[in-house]
Amino acid sequence: MQDIRKALYVGTRSDGRLIQRPMSPHLQIYRYRLSMVLSISNRLTGVAATGGAALGVFWLAAAAKGPKAFATARKVTGNPAGQLLLVGWLASVVYHTVGGIRHLIWDSGKRYDKEELNKDGPVAVGVTAGVSTVLAAGLLGVAAKRARAVAKAGKAS
Amino acid sequence: MVELRLPRNSEIGKGKTYPAPAGAKNVRTFRVYRWTPDDDKNPVVDSYEVDLDTIGPMVLDAIIHIKNDVDPTLTFRRSCREGICGSCAMNIDGENTLACLKPIKDIKGDVRIYPLPHMPIVKDLVSNLDGAYAQLRAINPWLQSDSAPPPDAERKQSIEERAKLDGMWECILCFCCTTSCPSYWWNGDKYLGPAVLLAAYRWIADSRDEHTGDRLDGLEDTFKLYACRTIMNCTQTCPKGLNPAKAIGRIKELQIERKV
Amino acid sequence: MTDSAPHIEVMRSQLGRARGLGAGGSGTGHWWAERVTAASLLPLSTWFIVQMFRLGGADHAEVVKWGGKPVNATMLTALIITTFYHAQLGLQVIVDDYVHGKAHLPTRILVKLVTSLLGLLGVFAVIKLVAAGNRRS
Repeated sequence: MQDIRKALYVGTRSDGRLIQRPMSPHLQIYRYRLSMVLSISNRLTGVAATGGAALGVFWLAAAAKGPKAFATARKVTGNPAGQLLLVGWLASVVYHTVGGIRHLIWDSGKRYDKEELNKDGPVAVGVTAGVSTVLAAGLLGVAAKRARAVAKAGKAS
Repeated sequence: MVELRLPRNSEIGKGKTYPAPAGAKNVRTFRVYRWTPDDDKNPVVDSYEVDLDTIGPMVLDAIIHIKNDVDPTLTFRRSCREGICGSCAMNIDGENTLACLKPIKDIKGDVRIYPLPHMPIVKDLVSNLDGAYAQLRAINPWLQSDSAPPPDAERKQSIEERAKLDGMWECILCFCCTTSCPSYWWNGDKYLGPAVLLAAYRWIADSRDEHTGDRLDGLEDTFKLYACRTIMNCTQTCPKGLNPAKAIGRIKELQIERKV
Repeated sequence: MTDSAPHIEVMRSQLGRARGLGAGGSGTGHWWAERVTAASLLPLSTWFIVQMFRLGGADHAEVVKWGGKPVNATMLTALIITTFYHAQLGLQVIVDDYVHGKAHLPTRILVKLVTSLLGLLGVFAVIKLVAAGNRRS
């Protein structure tokens, strides 16, 4: 089916000639409230999280394939650019989870009121920032610690 | 693909400036979207400098003053000037609202006025709402009852049943919410939009209505109902303080209740 | 909504257009599945993050040993299937929103295909890890 709105865009001039009506501006002029930004962010982080999950599967497949493939995967996860990517994935998953929990709360019929929406938005941002930072620092710390231990063991032998 | 930019014929150019009268002290600039079908030109934004000391407090007062005293070609809809007819719905300061209920003093800086977003424009601030009206008609916004009403009385409702309609009967169908919704912008041909879904739930929730199941059947669709992505612009923007997002959520709850 | 010479292609009434092809009769299933997978992902992804704290920087032998344990393999498989099913449902919605016209159906199928294949790859990787773990012991 074609877009039924098309016909609504055909108007008439005062002399009766048909004319194409303009479309009023939308994204160009609409106020970006936090609720709207958080909504599109939930979608964007969902896509990013999917991309990260795909990389995770490749990592798992590399481990399954053998030590050589896994060494290649570690080259990606071990270098700073790769770790930045991992942190991005982590933050996306954290925000998408926080946003998802808000959706589940809405779906159970709660926190729909305007005042509640505008109170919960900043909380969601804060929780995401806090949890992401703590998890990222923790995970990178654990990985660095283990890498040092391995290097030490290598020297000792 | 969805078109996030405006079509070429809809890009907005620079318009004229109408300066404030000499001696005006309390001047505010109103930047207003203009388009006429009769000059084969793109839309523009005209600037009107208005002396706030000479007019009433609302944005509608300002544009009525512009039309009466500055530029009679400015076209907009208005009627009751007290928030009950829904005619003067437009985008003011980035959000959809009724010009008659929007105090000028609530706006910082220039007052930017556009028609309801992502709509076909008839002239200036008047948009073509035929599509939205037809969508409203398509959900049968009236009582559907097969049993005959009592011969000597109205159909009865308990106080509790009647209370369920509060927050919905107040809707004046200004379509501020529908035209604030990005999902409606991209898929308004198939998605019914918040105003129509609020109206649908008003009849689903009505204890006197006997076609609840048919109504839910009519909404069981990936777009008509489920294109609601809970962006919440509708609830944020409603000039009557109603909550279309919540009503849509209730419809989804009922769909789950009868299916899962 | 093009700039070509305006003419009215459809003279159908507004009501006829608004009713269109009628309600598709589905939507609730998709929406509900999105919610159920989302809720299931809460414990599953929490488990995964805890595991990552144990595995961060691990070498190949450690990862193989970890993946070969029955409980880990079960949780991993559940996580992978749920993740890519949820991703599939979510990406389909995005396609519905933004891809219109002729490209819509092919894109929808492509999303289904890619997310399914990624999920399958993950599942088979886990199976291989379990098999490798068995060989070692």
